[in-house]
Amino acid sequence: MNYPVWDVAFGAGLLMALVAGLHVFVSHFAVGGGLFLILTERKARRNNDAQLLTWLKYHTRFFVLLTVVFGAVSGVGIWFTIGLISPTATSNLIHIYVWGWAIEWVFFFLEITAALLYLYGWDKLEPKVHEWFGWVYFVTAFASMVVINGIITFMLTPGNWIANHQFWSGFFNPTYAPSLLFRFCISLALAGIYSLITASLQKDAELKARIVRWGAIWTVPSLLLLPVFAWWYIRSIPQLLWVSARGAMPTGTHFALLACLLLGGTLLLVLVSLVRPSRLHLSLSLLLAVVAFGAMDSFEFVRESIRKPFVIVNYLYANSLYFTPMPGDGGFTVDNISSAGVLQTAKWVQNRNLTQDNQVAAGREIFRVECQSCHTANSYRGIHQYIVLRHWDQDKLHAMLGVLFMMHNNVMPQFAGTDAELNALSAYLGSLQSMNPPTDLHPVGKTVFEQNCSMCHQARPDDHLFTNMPKDPQTAVTALSSLPAMFPIMPDLKLSEDERRALVQWVDTQRSAQAATGGN
Amino acid sequence: MFDPSMVPTPDPNPLPAPYWVFKLLLVVTFALHILAMNFMLGGALLALLARWRQKGSQFGTRIFYDVAKKVPVMMAATISLGIAPLLFVQVLYGQFFYTSSILVAWPWFLVLVLVVCAYYGFYFVSYQGQRRHQAVGRVMLFSTTLVLIIGFIYTNNLTLSQVPANWAQKYFSSTSGWGLNLAEPTLVPRYLHFMTAAVAVGGLYLVLIAWSKWKQDQQYARAIFQLGGKAFLYATMSQFVIGFWFLFSLPKALRMIFLGADSLATSLLCFGLVAALVSIFMMSAALKKDNIRLAALGVTSVTALDVLTMSTMRELLRMAYLKPYYNPQQFAVQTQWSPFLIFLVLFVAGVAFWFVMLKRYGLFSKTKAAQQ
Repeated sequence: MNYPVWDVAFGAGLLMALVAGLHVFVSHFAVGGGLFLILTERKARRNNDAQLLTWLKYHTRFFVLLTVVFGAVSGVGIWFTIGLISPTATSNLIHIYVWGWAIEWVFFFLEITAALLYLYGWDKLEPKVHEWFGWVYFVTAFASMVVINGIITFMLTPGNWIANHQFWSGFFNPTYAPSLLFRFCISLALAGIYSLITASLQKDAELKARIVRWGAIWTVPSLLLLPVFAWWYIRSIPQLLWVSARGAMPTGTHFALLACLLLGGTLLLVLVSLVRPSRLHLSLSLLLAVVAFGAMDSFEFVRESIRKPFVIVNYLYANSLYFTPMPGDGGFTVDNISSAGVLQTAKWVQNRNLTQDNQVAAGREIFRVECQSCHTANSYRGIHQYIVLRHWDQDKLHAMLGVLFMMHNNVMPQFAGTDAELNALSAYLGSLQSMNPPTDLHPVGKTVFEQNCSMCHQARPDDHLFTNMPKDPQTAVTALSSLPAMFPIMPDLKLSEDERRALVQWVDTQRSAQAATGGN
Repeated sequence: MFDPSMVPTPDPNPLPAPYWVFKLLLVVTFALHILAMNFMLGGALLALLARWRQKGSQFGTRIFYDVAKKVPVMMAATISLGIAPLLFVQVLYGQFFYTSSILVAWPWFLVLVLVVCAYYGFYFVSYQGQRRHQAVGRVMLFSTTLVLIIGFIYTNNLTLSQVPANWAQKYFSSTSGWGLNLAEPTLVPRYLHFMTAAVAVGGLYLVLIAWSKWKQDQQYARAIFQLGGKAFLYATMSQFVIGFWFLFSLPKALRMIFLGADSLATSLLCFGLVAALVSIFMMSAALKKDNIRLAALGVTSVTALDVLTMSTMRELLRMAYLKPYYNPQQFAVQTQWSPFLIFLVLFVAGVAFWFVMLKRYGLFSKTKAAQQ
């Protein structure tokens, strides 16, 4: 709300995922692929393998055209895109790590120069000098990964930086080492995977087979090592952060499963390519690349979802509000805005004061400045679909918005704003409703649970809902009539008596079913 | 009425080095970036010109391919050298730069797509060469046009970043980020000023290429020299019209900083004008006397100084634009010594190592000792 919000109809988050997703898949190849080039060149020269050298020359051109053009531009593209979507986070990352970025720039500049000279030097330079350029390329490319890894991991685990604001405390943070090894492993695997693409285009079957086997030497051990570093990485993330990625909206768990599955798929496809390496077809090598791309991006999604609701953990929320007040925060904290008001604090809104007539218009602005960094009204992570599915009316929306921070295992920050602003936001979100919530005369307990309770509770015996609801049905039905009276933190959902009765009955059935299975 | 409080508040982190360090880095790296960009764009435009004029000159096609082959490398240099000023402008002017970028978000985002397309186009030309003569000409024209569009988007964003008074109306009329800054009176002259400079400096690039070929094939080198030298000459002369158009399109208070109100800005303008005149006379003499050394060394040195002067003036103009909203004293400074020193050491070592790389590649040796 300090900056204007770019209204991307289909969701700015998707655009970010697209740019970043494509970039990481190429930029990791740029590191591992560099080592691949140089070691393959040495191998070919040692064995006087002219065919392999000819292929490698061709592969170098593919490598440079992909990494120097697309890799470099999409890397700048991430800067462009996060600056448009998360200017506050970008500004913070720039000011905290200017010298990190600047150091990375020096390596990047040398890396690009070395890549071009290595490419153009194939027909020009003595083998030793040519190989030297290969080494320069790889070392500088790896060095830029060493630098950028510090800044990326800082966002997830800022470590002691939160307390001391020291450059190196944030840089060498708890996930720095495992993440670097993990990413380097990925980059080696990708070197092998990409080599299959140009290999599959070779006419000489015997040469093709040699390259495929050589590529597998890069891919298979790296893929097998990945879980080790992944485990170390996971162990280095504070348990508390995992909560939001698990449970009721287990985005992190889903993507982690997907990543494992696709990783297995990648390994399997590499093994398939080894069955008849001389007959590797382009389509298989491309399928392999696509599956590996999916695996890698799933991992990046896991990282992002663990980080929610933050963009820099314990420092900055995804919606650009600071976690704790500090000098120079511009008043952009939940505490300040809850007392001063969003419409008074945000710089880029038109409706400064709420009236009877501007509820929806002001609510729309509140949604834009406070929610739109992750959500859209109707599209990506659309609120409309969400509320239609649960049949929420404006009152229920109001009650739910009050407990955002409890929903889906703390994946969202608390609503920041006054009660009147919360009303306006509910009015706007309510206006998205295209149908009236049906008044169900015979509500089903499970549906009542899913529509009203499942944002915060899980259908598990150890969940508060199951452990704390009174055992006696009538007492439970009465108690549920005022949720805040049971626990002050609960939203006032005003469930009808039929709904409460159905819910209690369903909870009872669940309990006895669980008791039955537990007793056996 | 514009509410100045709409200008975003910078984030709470102090500057990790004194203000002037970033200012210096911004101006110097911008000058390097713009030089590379001029070599790339000016080179591409003149390559096209050589190709079109080939009826009168026997070397047209050859010049086209010789220059076109170098354009992708210059594109790489432009991007790599552009990262630094992009970083430092965010350090010093983030609150203005992010905001204007968001207001023109889609065109700004499309820059990425256009760069990738233009870049691959240039590589296509460089690799396909005469094998596909017709297609190559069209692709070259296409890529060069994309670069001209990219420049136009940059001018839109950067002019908007300096005039916060135009933000609110723009944003509240549409939050979709599809706008440009077309109503800005300085937009066209500023854009033309930069693009004409690209032709002039691109001309110098051709002169440098001619110089490197002077000993091997003087007749051909002379043709490149004539084309590049004349392009420099005409483009620089036309800056006396375009540059003054740009100057007089500025709001009066801003224009006056170059016309007496600010002694530094005024002296820089005078120096810039004198340098431009000197370079015109030098180039004209060099062309007449067939003196490639004078053009390659003399004019290039004067022009390099001129580019640095103009980059400084550009910065002073930005300061003047932002004066009501921006105070350099606002920054708290807390120098991060160890990363700062590591950067400085790596930077100096990196520049030295870069030259070592070019030397090992054989770029400086006439005999190309490193060749097989």
